[in-house]
Amino acid sequence: MIMAEVKLKLKKKPKFPLEADSITPDNFAGKTLNEIKKLPLYHARDLVTIGDFFDVSGKAEDVANTKIIIDGDVSNVKRVGEKMTGGEIIINSDVGMHVGNTMSGGKILVKGNADDWAGAMLQGGELEIEGNAGHYVGSAYRGFWQGMQNGVIRVKGSVGNESMLWAKSSKPSNKWPTLYCGSASSFLGLHNHGGTMVVEGDADRCIGADQSRGTIVIKGKISRLLPSFKKLDDVNEITLPNGEIITGKFAQYSGDHSISKETAGRLYIAIK
Amino acid sequence: MSQKKIITHHDVLCPFCGTLCDDLEVDVADNEVVEMRNSCQIGTKKFFSSNPSGHRYLKPQIKEKGSFRDATWDEALDKAADILLKAKRPLLYGFSSTECEAQNVGVELAEYLRAILDNTASVCHGPSLLAIQDVGAPLSTLGEYKNRADLVIFWGSNPVHAHPRHLSRYSDYVRGYFRKDGRNDRFIVVVDPRKTHTAQIADLYIQVKPNEDYELLNAIRAVLRGVELDAKEVSGVPMEEIKKLVEILKKCHFGVIFFGMGLTQSVSHHRNVDTAICLTRELNDHTKFLLTPMRGHYNVAGANQVFTWTTGYAYSIDFSRGYGRYNPGEFSSVDLLMKDEVDATLIVASDPASNFPAGAVRNMFKHPIIAIEPHHTPTSVYADVILPPAFAGIECEGTAYRMDKVPLRLRKVKEAPEECLPDREILERLLEKVKEKEGK
Repeated sequence: MIMAEVKLKLKKKPKFPLEADSITPDNFAGKTLNEIKKLPLYHARDLVTIGDFFDVSGKAEDVANTKIIIDGDVSNVKRVGEKMTGGEIIINSDVGMHVGNTMSGGKILVKGNADDWAGAMLQGGELEIEGNAGHYVGSAYRGFWQGMQNGVIRVKGSVGNESMLWAKSSKPSNKWPTLYCGSASSFLGLHNHGGTMVVEGDADRCIGADQSRGTIVIKGKISRLLPSFKKLDDVNEITLPNGEIITGKFAQYSGDHSISKETAGRLYIAIK
Repeated sequence: MSQKKIITHHDVLCPFCGTLCDDLEVDVADNEVVEMRNSCQIGTKKFFSSNPSGHRYLKPQIKEKGSFRDATWDEALDKAADILLKAKRPLLYGFSSTECEAQNVGVELAEYLRAILDNTASVCHGPSLLAIQDVGAPLSTLGEYKNRADLVIFWGSNPVHAHPRHLSRYSDYVRGYFRKDGRNDRFIVVVDPRKTHTAQIADLYIQVKPNEDYELLNAIRAVLRGVELDAKEVSGVPMEEIKKLVEILKKCHFGVIFFGMGLTQSVSHHRNVDTAICLTRELNDHTKFLLTPMRGHYNVAGANQVFTWTTGYAYSIDFSRGYGRYNPGEFSSVDLLMKDEVDATLIVASDPASNFPAGAVRNMFKHPIIAIEPHHTPTSVYADVILPPAFAGIECEGTAYRMDKVPLRLRKVKEAPEECLPDREILERLLEKVKEKEGK
């Protein structure tokens, strides 16, 4: 079945960040265009509507069959796709903070860069970013001990600091939060509790700090390895928890040993 | 020759740094501070700065055509209320150098205006609060350290200059109940990239490379866990020295880490504090260990307390949706100003123009500024309205929280000059004016 499409085109660039947590297939499903236009947005301290800032066209179906396509420069529009459970969102430009945060299903494709907190506390679904992403990709919000718990984030470019903070997997419920990215800044996989991270290029310092379990694969170089990681051996093949196999020559490290003497945390760095 | 009558005030609190000394003696004659005893240099300066001088604002000021003119309170508050109501995303910033009752009214004003509310922890010990939210913190009051601590670590802090009486009141020279011989009963460790004056009086000085504290703390934790590490040297410190330090940490009876902005405002910010807290927690497997942030402003801890009990969050709070939301990095003053998201600022007892990054200050100056500020400062000279306050703790009473979150009552030793009003009253009148203009 072909998905029903709702097209949003930004009419005027917001002066202040526009908080658009109402832009999700869940909120659009089963609504007429007029009803969609009346959904709330926050612009600084004003309560406005989608119709005030966007031209809306197309048609919405049920959640799973609704695709939202956003055109225009929405780099200052925050929280698109917040808590979505299904359907699809395509953003044809850069996007503001918190895109796809706490989503549990469906797919978001960002064709430009995403600002901080992209896919924060993801519970499921797929977030793809063709450009770079800001800090805290797939991270836990302040004070939360369980961050991203399932789903996949793919970032072609770089991710910022503290991505995948407090990521947590669950073997019994087959949940494997996974991040694929081009390169990573410092503190990737901080306080990791089972998250999987695959970095195609280089990574900065403090990777896997305070990791108690989980898998981090760096296919490029790392600027500075934490002293509390210990080299185990060299491997030619890595099997990720989700079943995927990565081949190539890697040095296998265990850590972070600052948490305990024995640890299930693993860090692989390519040998060139 | 007529003799001025000198009134001596005893047990006065010092409203300068987070140590909040409570044993000052202040001589006042003709409503002027003439002599101070027991106070440090910076505290003394603050008391003397309340005396009449060309630097003090004595009447409300309104800027017209680029220069200030005296105004009545009503005029000035009217203009201030207009600025705040016209703005779509106003910022209320500062609060750390005033008393809790004023801070409380500030929260009410911010909520009413749906503004952003932030205090100076945002550029100071905010990262400590972030770390505490992530991993908790084993803290204590300063009296415990005074009476019990036999190992004191100053990590990235320099109390000789920043908290001059901390050493003699709580952490180093003071004689405590179980530490009867004072300095001889304590082992002092300083970790700092620079050999500071505090480092010069320490028993052990560890020179860490700048911005590599995280790695050093991380290695100490691993060695404490009994792991033989591959590295020969971490952050410029040889492994032998790390092992020696770990033995010292394990063998003490009661240890404490006092950390300053060397941890919170160097690269890795809150993560330095995060790992320092984890180290402290793990040390409790071997002995008793605690840590305490060396808070700067005398009531920044109070600002965090007041904001937390009224809104649920300690700083960087956005009320734009009518309820408080918290996210440093998104709603913190510097980040908002750098992105030019703020269109009016109310500064209470602070001088961001001297402390914020140039880009943030430039953006702040583009929009109207209201300053509640007693002196000429780089911020106040660019303000549109200046509301002159009385000095909390010198010219009016109030409550302040010491760095270990102990609330103490500030004293009044002299009258405020001319038209100066307490911060609390200014904010109350401003809130009243704002409500009146909104017709509520």
